[in-house]
Amino acid sequence: MSLLSKAREAIICLKAGKVTLPYPAQPHAPAPNFRGRPIFDAAKCIGCAGCANNCPAREILIFDPCQEIRVLHYLGRRCTYCGRCADVCPEKAITMSQDFETATDKIGDLSQHLELFMSTCQRCGRCFKESSPLEQLKLKGYRCDDLEHEHVIFRSQSYLKDAPVVDDINIELD
Amino acid sequence: MAGNILWLLLKCFANVAVMLAVAPLCEGVIRKMTARIQSRQGPPVLQPYMDLLKLLGKEDIESGESPVVQRVAAYLALSMAMLVACMVPMGFASPMSNVADCLVLVYLLTMCGICTLVAGLAAGSTYSLIGISREMMTMITLEPLLAIALVIGSMHTQSFRLNAVLDGSVYTIGGFPWSGLVILLVMIFAFQAFIQRLPFDIAESETEIMEGPLMEYSGPKLAMFKYAQMCRLVILAALFIALFVPFGSRLMFPLGWLIFWAKVLVLILAVTLVAATHARYRIDQAVRYFAALIVVAFVALVLASYGF
Amino acid sequence: MIARERLKALEEQFGVGIERADLAGENRLFVYVRPTMLKLICQHIFRDLSARYVISIGADDRPYNGKFLVAHDFAFDGDNLLCSVLAHVPSEDPKVDSISAVIPAANWAEREIMDMVGVQMKGHPYPKRLVVPDGWPEGVHPLRKDFAWNQVPEGFDDQKEFKFGEPPEGCVVVPFGPFHPTLDEPSHFRLYVEGEMVRGCEYRGFMVHRGIEKLAESVLSYNDIPMMAERICGICGCVHSVAYAQAVESAVGLEVPQRAQYIRTIMLEIERLHSHLLWVGLAGHVLGFDTIFMQAFRIREPIMWISEKITGNRKTYGMCVVGGMRRDLTPELTAELSGVLDKLQTEWRAVVDAVVKDKNIQKRASGVGVADRTLTKEMGLIGPMARAAGVDIDCRRDHPYAAYGKVDFDVITAAGGDVWSRLVVRATEVFQSIRIIRQCLEKMEPGPIEEKVTDDLPVGRIGLSSVEAPRGESHHFLITGENNHPRRWRVRAPTYQNLQAVPAMIKDKPLADMTIALASIDPCFSCTDRLETIDVKSGATRVWSHGIEDLPGATKG
Repeated sequence: MSLLSKAREAIICLKAGKVTLPYPAQPHAPAPNFRGRPIFDAAKCIGCAGCANNCPAREILIFDPCQEIRVLHYLGRRCTYCGRCADVCPEKAITMSQDFETATDKIGDLSQHLELFMSTCQRCGRCFKESSPLEQLKLKGYRCDDLEHEHVIFRSQSYLKDAPVVDDINIELD
Repeated sequence: MAGNILWLLLKCFANVAVMLAVAPLCEGVIRKMTARIQSRQGPPVLQPYMDLLKLLGKEDIESGESPVVQRVAAYLALSMAMLVACMVPMGFASPMSNVADCLVLVYLLTMCGICTLVAGLAAGSTYSLIGISREMMTMITLEPLLAIALVIGSMHTQSFRLNAVLDGSVYTIGGFPWSGLVILLVMIFAFQAFIQRLPFDIAESETEIMEGPLMEYSGPKLAMFKYAQMCRLVILAALFIALFVPFGSRLMFPLGWLIFWAKVLVLILAVTLVAATHARYRIDQAVRYFAALIVVAFVALVLASYGF
Repeated sequence: MIARERLKALEEQFGVGIERADLAGENRLFVYVRPTMLKLICQHIFRDLSARYVISIGADDRPYNGKFLVAHDFAFDGDNLLCSVLAHVPSEDPKVDSISAVIPAANWAEREIMDMVGVQMKGHPYPKRLVVPDGWPEGVHPLRKDFAWNQVPEGFDDQKEFKFGEPPEGCVVVPFGPFHPTLDEPSHFRLYVEGEMVRGCEYRGFMVHRGIEKLAESVLSYNDIPMMAERICGICGCVHSVAYAQAVESAVGLEVPQRAQYIRTIMLEIERLHSHLLWVGLAGHVLGFDTIFMQAFRIREPIMWISEKITGNRKTYGMCVVGGMRRDLTPELTAELSGVLDKLQTEWRAVVDAVVKDKNIQKRASGVGVADRTLTKEMGLIGPMARAAGVDIDCRRDHPYAAYGKVDFDVITAAGGDVWSRLVVRATEVFQSIRIIRQCLEKMEPGPIEEKVTDDLPVGRIGLSSVEAPRGESHHFLITGENNHPRRWRVRAPTYQNLQAVPAMIKDKPLADMTIALASIDPCFSCTDRLETIDVKSGATRVWSHGIEDLPGATKG
């Protein structure tokens, strides 16, 4: 019989004691350097759209209502907290906070909305100091992502010859 | 006469009430201790009460092949358990012990098992059918053990009456109770299977066949079955104690009663320890194991018939 | 140089059949052959040269040279050589001979090419749909360049259902999945059960197909893809992001700094630790032994904490980018990591010593789910599955990458080929991982952790990368492209190969063994299915049937 090994297993178990934490009854802070929800600082942001271009989940929308104003809208729904936006931001306007308890019943709670006054910018993308060609802006110039339906509009140069403008599809959210 | 019957009914009611009240507590102790072995907090000891209340409050959804039979099976399971509770001494002599005999006890306990079979058949899904085939195999090889234990007891006391048999009867012979000790050993090894805990919870193995016979059960019907299983635990523990370790139960109430429940507690703790440290056996391995136990039990029977 | 010798031998053998060859360094060989000679050359490489089959890839190269590309990757484990045999198939009537008849391991990969790119595999023993759903219209192939990433095809038939085969005589159909407590991710095993014995199995999977490869080709850029690759799998994410980065770096000849290599190695081994401990717990849970599950997870938890401290997240590390790593290891973290490893080693040693003698678990695991050496070779099984069958392969030693060439470790094998052997192999590999991490921490020198890319990456280069995931070899095939994203990216997760062996493992065995046999390959259906789903309307269920009768050489049930 494997009584001896069972006894050893039981001893290992009992020596360990209770290890479960009473979270969420008691709060539990994550480690420092934890990548939580990104916080966008409107004061530092220069509206270069580097974050929007390098977000793998396409969760940052850019909309230019007119020459002077650029709207940056972070949706936050599919954000994977990867931190690439914070990495590429030339002004360090994005910080990854320690916040991970972001559950809410109103999806609008997750979004952050920045309206930036752009002096005399022609939206060329020159403000974005890319660190390597791998982070180059995919979309330059005026951006008009669909803020109402919360879609990124890709008007990138497609690899298909004679490709029409590839629009985003309409997903019905009820 | 009427007074006697009334008194009998009252005692039955008390027995049943005690059992119904305490069974979820035993389950709660099992869960708490399992959790401690697994290094976690575990649910509060009163959790099974809350689970049952929650289940009873749910909508009675009809799913499975034959919902009527499902309902009947659920009620029957609990009723059988309550009936058996009237016959099993739980710290004091059971109300029916001088009128019932142990054959009826065996039949009624088997009925509890049959209720599970009926439940699985009524559900009709593939997994529940597999579950009941396993349950059948288990029952065929396992129930005889209890029957043999009772028969040995009755052989020693020359009576089938419960109050005679369920009183440590396996030891009541002149010399050294060989058959008693052998059958005690057999029952110790088989007890885990009787109450359907790991490593012998094959019929309702969650990870393999998704709860088996109880698969299509939810809400109040599930509450009945769960309750029946908890009561089964208490009943079988009481039977085991009455047959094999009755020492101290004859003392005056409340001392005898407290000693009885202390013994039940010890038994439950032992069960939990074994359940928490074992993996589940496959049905063919389990059946081989029970078959070996049956052979040993027969040896004990033979010994008993020769007066050992 | 071995690669050159191999090439010479092939050229002598097949002469005109070989159109061109690229020797991209000592360890990569790309042989371009005539489509008509493809099967012959692959057969020769597999049977006569005893190479291991890795994966087959199909790509639509029509915008670049007017043809389709079909490639078969092989690994010469003893020579540290990864070889790709490529053929350009003309685009009008794209057909090529199937190699599945001679290399059973290529079964799924070729069906995927047929589904996704549309190159017909002549002579495939089981040319049914693998990846695209039943209702998908004929002739529409998602990975073709003229099919946009967000396009919904016309003519999708919602009502079309899959036709399963008839169950054998006397068997009951037991549906295992997509909902089952044992399965972490949805997949469907249709078991034919007689009494308690499994007599046959049909598999229907690819329900978690998410369209990663198409997205990588269309809308993601080089440095976005590691974040996506990490989410192919919830357990071996780091493996995929490192493998991808290595494929790009190998394609363009980018040297990653030393320190980054060491950090990659450390993160990969940390991932192996957490994965193996998780698996031992899971195997215990499947066997009903929940206590092992709890204890394994308790011992594993400090690894998750240290990962969170190093990378910012418990599991999706997000550390890897093309050219290096994003975060560095500080001296405090190094010290803490060492402490965690010490404690882990003591605790795990105690558990392994207790479990190894445990007859109760052995009864459920010995002789169960046997995959012997022949099956391993035929189906190209890898990782602990192969090592438990006595086949000594391990990408960390055979095709050293990152810093594995600089550290010592043993490759653990066992002889039984059953679940118990796999348990022993995985439990023991934990100690080797600890050893590797300790050596890396010692040998690491301060330095840069990222090699900045200064020019646009060259276009049209092929990169191969094999990384030893906890489950086996994870192989990435990449062709670099314009506009900062690849032209083609093919991910071959280890479970892709290992799953194909499951029907053979469970045939004529009790039903109760099926769950643990499946769990013992450490299945990661997310890794396996990663391909395409851009079908927003239907919720794309993949359908595939692989009857046991269709495995070449298998006896009929």
